[in-house]
Amino acid sequence: MNDKLLEVKEVYKTFDEVVHALKGVSIEARKNEIVGVVGENGAGKSTLMKILVGVYSPDKGELYHKGKLVPFPGNPKEAAKRGISIVYQENGVIPWLKVYQFLFLGHEDKYIQFMTLQKDSMKQQACEILQELHVECDVDAFMHELPLSNQKMIEIARAILGVRLEREDSDTTPIIILDEPTAPLTDDECKELFRDLLKMKKNASFIFISHIIPEVMEYTDRVHVLRDGNLVAQYDLSKEKMTEEDLFRAIVGRKSSEYISRSGDSEALGEDTILSAKNLTKRGHFYDISFDLIRGSCIGFFGPAGSGKSRIIRTIAGLTNYDEGELTAKEQMLKPDELPHVRLSRGIGYFSGETGKELFLNWSLSKNISIINMEKILGKITRVIQFSAERKMAEKIVQKLEIKVPSVGTDCYSLSGGNKQKVSVGKWLERNPDILLLDDPTIGIDVGAREDIYQVLLEMKRNGISMILVSDEPKEYYILCNKIMFVMDGRIQKVLGPEEFRKVMST
Amino acid sequence: MNNRNSKNKVFQRIKQTLKMHPVIIVLLALLIIFGSIYPDRFFSPINIKSILRQFVTLMLFALGPTFVVLTGSLDLSYVGVWMLGGVLVWMVKPILGIFAIIMIPVVGVTTGFLVGVIQTKAKIPSFILTLSLLMTYTGLAALLAEGYPRAVEGYEFITAPIIRYVPSTFLWTIPIIAAAIFFMKYTRICVYLNAIGSNEEGARLAGINVDKYKILAFMLSGGFTGVGAIILFQHLGGSAQMELKLNTLVWPLVAIVLGGTPLTGGSGGPQRTLLGAITFTIFYRGLYLSALHPTMVTLLVGVLLIVAIIISARGLKGVTVT
Repeated sequence: MNDKLLEVKEVYKTFDEVVHALKGVSIEARKNEIVGVVGENGAGKSTLMKILVGVYSPDKGELYHKGKLVPFPGNPKEAAKRGISIVYQENGVIPWLKVYQFLFLGHEDKYIQFMTLQKDSMKQQACEILQELHVECDVDAFMHELPLSNQKMIEIARAILGVRLEREDSDTTPIIILDEPTAPLTDDECKELFRDLLKMKKNASFIFISHIIPEVMEYTDRVHVLRDGNLVAQYDLSKEKMTEEDLFRAIVGRKSSEYISRSGDSEALGEDTILSAKNLTKRGHFYDISFDLIRGSCIGFFGPAGSGKSRIIRTIAGLTNYDEGELTAKEQMLKPDELPHVRLSRGIGYFSGETGKELFLNWSLSKNISIINMEKILGKITRVIQFSAERKMAEKIVQKLEIKVPSVGTDCYSLSGGNKQKVSVGKWLERNPDILLLDDPTIGIDVGAREDIYQVLLEMKRNGISMILVSDEPKEYYILCNKIMFVMDGRIQKVLGPEEFRKVMST
Repeated sequence: MNNRNSKNKVFQRIKQTLKMHPVIIVLLALLIIFGSIYPDRFFSPINIKSILRQFVTLMLFALGPTFVVLTGSLDLSYVGVWMLGGVLVWMVKPILGIFAIIMIPVVGVTTGFLVGVIQTKAKIPSFILTLSLLMTYTGLAALLAEGYPRAVEGYEFITAPIIRYVPSTFLWTIPIIAAAIFFMKYTRICVYLNAIGSNEEGARLAGINVDKYKILAFMLSGGFTGVGAIILFQHLGGSAQMELKLNTLVWPLVAIVLGGTPLTGGSGGPQRTLLGAITFTIFYRGLYLSALHPTMVTLLVGVLLIVAIIISARGLKGVTVT
């Protein structure tokens, strides 16, 4: 029997004539299964799903529904006719509605008699469908009173219900796309969600988008791996045996030629430890993280998304607290709940590559640089801002980093992504902290600008600034780090040197 | 050649200034319109004196809250500070004598501190918090003064004429405005306030103690309102007032927004509020001279506020914050 429910063949999608989001991707969903679609940010997962639900239309490609060639849906309602519906990652729930109100939101017209809403029949229907899908909850409860996993299940139930109310004929099976449903959930809530999801497989098929490897491995039947708009691998997890690392390599895998050469180990490493952590733990995110950061060196935390690596760096920056363990910088205890400004006063700076996170876009370039270097531009006695000093400081940075701007008074929002990043990194160059935390320092900028940023960071490193790196880009670890810690499920699994790391990544 | 170059430079500068403060264009337009409709009456000494008097009231009320608006919050307690402060002056006058006037800034700074702490710790919208506080202060002032406006003597020197046609309170206001503008331009505190309004997350990442500076913003607001209210106390009759007027509450907001400090914060400051206050006063006096019914004037002021808010919000559209 042909159990292919939905098949997409050779889909192409280009944005603005230059960004090739999808370059001929084919995937399929079979009856009563959970199929995983995994890939890094920007791999094309979301674009593909938006095509399936009719938000985007593809440039080229074919769609088969139950073996028949059909046109791509033009809007979500048409998609629902074929049984396709989506549950988005966040903001899908309206907290102040009751469960049954939320389930029928947008479909109330089917329950109106004598101009009034038939609440009793709605409630009864809601009970029935929730029972059928094995979701246990009170239909009279408010959405916000339920645990998050339950809320997610009700969202899924709502998607299935939507399909049932819209579909062409009654034997169309709902195909529900789940866009990273576990992102806002804790571990326990995830387990509950999947327990319920496995029961629901009888009633529907699921396309499960995620980049969290362990859950994909455990709960999906088959998995498609996307990278840079291509389908690079396809596994049948029930038949093939593979490890988490295999899948991870398939997701990030890069050719070894992409690694630029490391600029030798000429950097002067100090002797003293500048930051050390002992059994640092934040429950639900990471456990027993211990490391010693030597002055002038760089440690990288490497692992798939959801491994806890970004939590670790945000904890050191003071953006979140830790539960247990010890964190000391220059023999000073760093208390768990210190805020970023206290950490900065102890010499720990945090640099995030996400544009707009660090910069004040409606401000001039020079002000963006001086904001963390106020001490240097205040008058010695008067303590007032010296604008000439501010301008000189900014001009120095602009010249050094070759930032392309008409003047240092230019507003930051008019700069290109790469130049914005240079401004962000430039202010740290001037500040000269003891430790610089790098959170995805080159995300979203082009190759040329990347190389420039690396050069600046390497120079800072040579000048004795210690760094901790977290990134989605494996080669960054190779270029910058002296020690790479492999993190999986919130624990350090392995510690590698840069050469070893390169070997592991290129096989 | 040289001459043309320097002319070009001047032109560039003017262009830049107009881009930064588009309200100047509105101001000039209003002056031309009203000046040509009734040239004699508009530029008469009496009208100019009225303009200045009204400007003083508006400016001193609008100056303090500007600092809070910079951070993207709102402080409506200024009228309350003036009223409660006035009543306290009346109460402690027999004890402290002339120094009783110090009660107004004390009330201002204390209020600012309280509002700041409550707002940052309890995370309540400052708008509703300060509005409730304003109501509380109105009630408290009436209670303490037993329901009657209380005249306080001894501060007439504030309004004693110095220069002909120029209200003395206007002269007193100048150093306060200058102090606020200096403070805005040359201290790090105001850079940080601006940073919070522009990108709070970014401010946090840049190592700014956001909560502390938010509290400081409210204290600055209270402080400037308090000092300004010393002048206003005598300027508005030398007595503790009981009645809360909508105009005194809304006009300063119009002046702030009209001047170009968006209610979302992140840019602007006292120098813009100054321009806004002048423009609004001219606008109001011009309408006042035309024989329009007062209710019509109120309506037009409301429309002006709406338009100003829309423009100030759209002005930020060029910025794409992701």
